[in-house]
Amino acid sequence: MTGLRESVISALTPYVGEIVADTCVRATALSLGKTADDLDINDLAALEANARRLLGPVAPREAIDGLIAEIERSLT
Amino acid sequence: MMAQTDIGKTAPRKPAIISARTMRITAILFALLGVFHVLNTLSLADKLSATASDAVYVFGILLQPLCAAIAVWVASKLGWRESVGRQWLLIAAGMTAFAIGDVVWAVLELGMGLDPYPSIADFFYPMEYFLFLTAMILAIRSYSGLVKTRKPVLLGGAVAVAGVAVVYLALLKPFIFPAGADELSGLGKLVSTFYPLGDIVFMLAPAVALALVIRQLGAARFAWPWWIIVVGALVFALTDSYYAYADWSGSGLTAAMDLGWIATHMLFATAALVARDVYRSVGRT
Repeated sequence: MTGLRESVISALTPYVGEIVADTCVRATALSLGKTADDLDINDLAALEANARRLLGPVAPREAIDGLIAEIERSLT
Repeated sequence: MMAQTDIGKTAPRKPAIISARTMRITAILFALLGVFHVLNTLSLADKLSATASDAVYVFGILLQPLCAAIAVWVASKLGWRESVGRQWLLIAAGMTAFAIGDVVWAVLELGMGLDPYPSIADFFYPMEYFLFLTAMILAIRSYSGLVKTRKPVLLGGAVAVAGVAVVYLALLKPFIFPAGADELSGLGKLVSTFYPLGDIVFMLAPAVALALVIRQLGAARFAWPWWIIVVGALVFALTDSYYAYADWSGSGLTAAMDLGWIATHMLFATAALVARDVYRSVGRT
């Protein structure tokens, strides 16, 4: 099964690139005191909040909502 | 052509990221630019009547408000409340200021038979510098928590310093600063100094910094419109500064030079349309 990190990176990369996608994951892990590989489905809310905060300045709210939906889809 | 699966069924077509409307509008804009270039070349070669030449002049001028209107239309839909909306609104406002400058210039020169340089038009043209620079600062800052921005900004600053040195050595020192009062008024000298420096400091340098920032996004969609902005800003800086050099050095002005300012704003309008498309594309593929 693909981990949260891989799912999020593969969902975000086409839009913001791998570096930015990885930054969203790492920032979440850091805020939770975990490593990026240790993130699991229970951390999804924190990850979405971080993605909104970090990506908010680079895209409209609707696009960010779409990205969050893509992340959620990638996990199902 | 639709993709075929190995069992012969037709796979669903993926929605295009860049919309057909964006493609159409961009194609029309650049077709108009091509028409203008052909007519302007004939006009400058004295192969058109005075009336036809004036019509070509007005046609070229009107392309600027057209580009500005497209950018304002797209940016206003994003809105000032969105951070990215503010970036695009500032770019659109800069295009509008330039278009107003061009219209004022044409009215003074063609309508009133006055020498438009320097004039009130030179109040509007430089507004694009400040608005564009502000937009670039906001765009770069928006990526500051995501990718490295310090080094790109420093390299942009280095480009500004080097570019200013080149402008000083190639244009200001040999031509503009020694110009006598009969050749250039005090205001004219100020404006003639400001434009080539503005091209470097307000257009070229921030475009280089932005390019180095979005380069870190690889082929990501959100970078696409910014790449078009970068190309447009480079075209503007090169056109405007080379025009000043060609004018002062006597190396000759050509019809191709008139393309630069229009092409820049066509690229900016295209960038706004592409931005709208890539934001809308989220979740569709």
